This record gives sequence, structure tokens and C-alpha cells, in this order.
Amino acid sequence: MSTTRHLVNRQRRLATVAAADRAATPAPARPRTGGGPGPEKPSEAAGEAAEDTPNDEEADAEGEPDGGKAPARHLPRPTLPVILCVLTVLLGSFAAWAFTSAASLRDDPSRQNTALTDISRTSEVKGQITEAVGAVFSYDYASPTKAETAVTRYLTGKAVQQHADMLAEVRAQAPKQKLVLTTTVTDSGVEMLDGDRARLLIYADQRNTRTGKSEETTYAAAMFSVDAVRKGGTWRISSIDTFTR
Amino acid sequence: MARVAMTRNPLVAAAIVLTVAATGAAGWGGVSRYQAGHDSSAAYAQTRDDVLAAGEQAVQNMNTLDHAQLDKGLDSWEDSTTGDLHQQLVDGRDGFVKQIQEAKTVSTAKVLAGSVTELDDRAGKAGVMVALRVTVTAPKGKPAVKESRMLGQLTRTPDGWKLSALGQAPVGNTAG
Repeated sequence: MSTTRHLVNRQRRLATVAAADRAATPAPARPRTGGGPGPEKPSEAAGEAAEDTPNDEEADAEGEPDGGKAPARHLPRPTLPVILCVLTVLLGSFAAWAFTSAASLRDDPSRQNTALTDISRTSEVKGQITEAVGAVFSYDYASPTKAETAVTRYLTGKAVQQHADMLAEVRAQAPKQKLVLTTTVTDSGVEMLDGDRARLLIYADQRNTRTGKSEETTYAAAMFSVDAVRKGGTWRISSIDTFTR
Repeated sequence: MARVAMTRNPLVAAAIVLTVAATGAAGWGGVSRYQAGHDSSAAYAQTRDDVLAAGEQAVQNMNTLDHAQLDKGLDSWEDSTTGDLHQQLVDGRDGFVKQIQEAKTVSTAKVLAGSVTELDDRAGKAGVMVALRVTVTAPKGKPAVKESRMLGQLTRTPDGWKLSALGQAPVGNTAG
């Protein structure tokens, strides 16, 4: 036990001596290094000067320039390229991040869709598609050519066949029943608008009047989505989705 | 003079050119990123999408009710709404509970399509259209499937966008 205490004390004593030694060694070192940086900067100038006018006042006076000159002239050489490289890498990575981040922000589906954000386009497509839906889903037995004109004017692509299928029954029965179908869009909303493509949700009322034997009018509520494309300043319906399962 | 001498080193010269180029790219990228992040129409588009998501979810909630989990369902109704509509639901809750417990129906709704029709992001008001397919299952008989044309008004609250009015689009009086 006493041995332990003895050991501990000894270690403490040694530690203090060592600490004193450590404290003592940098003490003389400091003036040395302290003297270093002082002339180090001037020694740059001295070094330059030395090139032109070899071994002038300072160079001789210091006595150290040989030792100081070497690090002073060699240190900046690797450091400047290193600083430049680090800067290049940092700035380059920031630029890369900034561009990728900006691109991903711009590619965000929210932004691609300009429904409502592009007010004039939104109202343009709503207006034209409202008119188109009203025209193509109305049918008067007395003037079937009017319906044909509407089809060529307002429909394109897949929608032509879809529309033909949807109105096949009406067309077949219209002359017999003296049928007049009138479709009025009551509400429309742009789901998606991206350049010359759009998708709209349509609520429409359909009034079906049969004036054959006895006059009879029925109302039906319709809801469907249409895809629209813009060609030559006019929006046309390219596809009709009636949400059938 | 030392600097001038150093730039004669082709490596350093190349490094300087690269650093300058990187500085330019970083500046350009920063401006581009800032503009992309502070685009007011982008913020509006984001709000529109938030409104649509909140609106579709709320309308779906309002058309979903299981008699076996009435409290859960009606809590979700109340959570989806604000203002007068919310107050009506709270006031009518007891009567409604009785009604559904007798009918023992289960309603589920699927959103077919939805669209924001108007949005005033300053006033915090928006209008949505939500096309729904609602299936109502009673204890007896086949489930009834109907399509609903819902029109909703949303109001911004501290807890997000909530329905302040909801109804079906009227039929029959506008045609012709």
C-alpha cells in the first residue's frame, strides 16, 4: 500500500518535472520562431531583393536568410496552387449543386403544370374546351351535318373514335325519335396544363328532348376528363375519359 | 513580383484560370438557384397542388363512413372541415350517429379526378372540383355505386387547407 502511494508520488514528481521541462523547452523556442515570422515576411522582400541585389543589408544583418529564404520562397509555391485547387473544388461543387438543385426545382411537376399559374392560358383552354364539349355532345336530328362539322373542328386523334362510339346510339335513334341532345358545361377545371397539352375535368348537364310521339325531356349529369392539345392557336379534344371501370 | 513570377508556372496559371472559371460558374449557379427558389409562380403552383391534395383528401373523407367505426369517421369529417360546415357537422353529429347506426351502412369513396378551379392564396380561399365514385354497402342487398360531382370551397387554417363548403354540382336547371 505504501509502495503504491510511493509510486504515485514518484509519478507525480516526474510528471511535474516533465511538465516543467516541456514548459521550458518551448520558452526558448518561442523567441526563435518569434524572430522567424518577423523577418519571414520581410525576408520575402529580402529574397526578391536578393535576386536583384544579392546579399544586401538585411540578408547580411539577419544571418539567417539562408535558412529563412528557403522556406519563404518554397512555401508559397505549393500553397498558392493548393489554395487555388481547394477554391476550384469548393466553387465547382457549389456551382454543380446550384445548377442541379435549380434544375430539379424547375423540373418539379408542380411547376411543369401551369394550370392557374398561367392565367391567360388557363382561361383560354377552359373557354375553348367548354365550347368544344358543348358542340360535340349536342345533336339535333334536324341538322346532323352541324354535329359532323363540330367533330372535325373540335376533335382530334383518339377522341374522334371515342366520340363516335359514345354518340352511336343517339345518332341511330335521333331521326326516329326526333331527338335533340343539348350538352352544357356547368363546371370545368384545368387539372394539368403544360405548354400545348392540357387535361380538364368537366361537369356537364345533358338535356335530352324527344319530340317524336309525345314530347319528353330528361336531364342527365355527366362528368368526365378530357385531354386537349393546342394546334395553330386552337385547343382540340384529343381523348375523353369517362372514368369507366 | 513574386506573384508575377509564380504565374509563369503553367500549372499555377491553369489553376488560376480554373478558379476564375469556377468562381464564375458558382456565381451563375447561385443566381440561377436563387431565381429557381424564389419564383413566385412556383410558390403559387405549390399552393395549388397543396390545395388539390387537401381538397381531394377532405372530400374523400367526407364521403367515407363505416357504421362500425363511426367515431373515427366523424372525427375525420370534423378534422377535414372548418367554419360553418364544421359547426354543422359538430351540431348534427348526435342525430347522424343514430341514423347511421340504424342504417348500418359502409361508404367508401374513390377520387377519380380533381382540379382546383380558383385560388386566392392571399385571402386563403380556394375552389375545387372532385369527381368521386362512392360505394355504399348496406347490410342487405348489393352495394350501390354512384358517381358524385363534388364542388368544394377550401379555407386556409393554421392546420392547413380545410373544407368550408361542400356540395354536389346541381343538375338539370342549366342545360339549354
